[in-house]
Amino acid sequence: MNRRKFIRETALTAGALMASSVAGAVPAEYPLTILHTNDVHSHLDPFPMDGSRNQGLGGVATRSSLIKDIREEADQVLLLDAGDIFQGTPYFNLYKGEPEIRAMSKMGYDAATMGNHDFDAGIENFANQLQHASFPIVICNYDFTGTPMENNYRPYTIIQKGKQKVGILGVGIELDGLVPANLYGNTVYKNPVESANATVELLRQQQCDFIICLSHLGDKYEEDKVSDEILAKESYDIDLIIGGHTHRFFSQPRKYRNRKGGDVLVNQVGWGGLQLGRLDYIFSSNKRKNLSKAHTVIVTRKTNE
Amino acid sequence: MNRNTLLYIFLFFLVSCTTTYQPKSMNYQGYSVSPKIKSDTALTNLLQPYSGEVQRMMQKVIGFTNSNMYRRQPESILGNFMADCMQQMAAVKFGKPVDVGFMNNGGIRAELQKGNITLGNIYELMPFDNMVVIQELKGDVLEQFIHHIAADRGWPISKGSSYVIRSGKAEQIIINGKPLNRDATYVVANSDYIAAGGSNASMLKAIPAENKGYLMRDALVEYIGLMTRQGKPVDGQLENRASIANE
Repeated sequence: MNRRKFIRETALTAGALMASSVAGAVPAEYPLTILHTNDVHSHLDPFPMDGSRNQGLGGVATRSSLIKDIREEADQVLLLDAGDIFQGTPYFNLYKGEPEIRAMSKMGYDAATMGNHDFDAGIENFANQLQHASFPIVICNYDFTGTPMENNYRPYTIIQKGKQKVGILGVGIELDGLVPANLYGNTVYKNPVESANATVELLRQQQCDFIICLSHLGDKYEEDKVSDEILAKESYDIDLIIGGHTHRFFSQPRKYRNRKGGDVLVNQVGWGGLQLGRLDYIFSSNKRKNLSKAHTVIVTRKTNE
Repeated sequence: MNRNTLLYIFLFFLVSCTTTYQPKSMNYQGYSVSPKIKSDTALTNLLQPYSGEVQRMMQKVIGFTNSNMYRRQPESILGNFMADCMQQMAAVKFGKPVDVGFMNNGGIRAELQKGNITLGNIYELMPFDNMVVIQELKGDVLEQFIHHIAADRGWPISKGSSYVIRSGKAEQIIINGKPLNRDATYVVANSDYIAAGGSNASMLKAIPAENKGYLMRDALVEYIGLMTRQGKPVDGQLENRASIANE
């Protein structure tokens, strides 16, 4: 912990202690910053300087320095990815995802889920590349029994960030018709809404304060196809869905009502590592009896300078 | 009062005294990963052993063209080449004759300059990870699709097939050398994106597509490789495959 951070946190704790001892005082506030990417598609270098719209943008070296700067100023930071890490530049053709996973580990990703293109060099290759990962792959609606992924994933992970206990699960898209069957092997796709709700129940039982779902379902579709929008509306306790697959650049997170009437936010930051999303949450403390009450979240947006 | 009861009372207090944390507000900021931001040398160093090899690979010459190949509608040498690639490489990959191949005009993302063609040029031409798929289309559905691409000012179509655009509709449709028969069934190569109804090709959406995970980019590289081994340039002639009627 650096000196600046130490002073701030000490002040915060002291403030919280005082607030709790003085009746009617302003309740203490607890920050949590979530950084995220999706559909980076092997874009390790910035986009080539070819006169196109994205020239010079992206690249892991720039993203890493941006993340480091944010970690310096923010207290509790999570870094997440919503899948399709692989495929899109010759790095992937030559090295099958090794530099992508190593770069994410170096940047300190906390968790990621799997996208359909992560199967592109076969499920065994993805499992093998995870030897370079210092973060877990979370996905709750793929049954990997009897596949090389069997011991290389978790339905969810729980990370303590400051005071808050954060549960992170993942959901993946239907593979049939999207990924050739020989690449995903014996992977069994299960209904993402049912799987997510069952997994979230486990996270609630373990007293998570905040639940994030990493999703490669896609934000929404014209046709009747499961999406982040449907998942958000049919969920009970998911607070935030970090989406992917549809390569949409959201100007700010979309807000939905879950089945309890609470707020669920959904966000997505395009593709290719062109953007990094940053959600600065403020939490308030509550006695446990308030737990089941659906809460609302006020959303604001800082415009880019 | 036995020990268990005491334990339960203790646990009850422990739980009821636990504080939870609820989100109450969220401020969002989307950062552009801009070249104005400094680079983290730790990542540059991590990439360095890989990127040298990648650059060498991108500079590898895989073929040549004797003309500048531009993207034009309704017809271009570049589009003809890409549509021929769709048809011919689909036939090879799926092991069956393919009647006609198309190229989504919006999916052509660069142009090829006269001279050597490098692998890097093909990545620029086809930066997306779209795949070559085939569908079996009834003649009337194929006709609807060709009307659709005619209304979009003409998309590339493979050799031996052609259409004329009049007032945003297709006429004189020839498929594989013969006039289109609405009752016949055709094997058609498209990108997985178009076959799934992308670019408003909604008439294709409900029709199953056969997909072997064959990237269009890989198809282009292999197709150029075949031509280069035969000593042929990748360019060709304009053949009135798609043309606009004189009105």
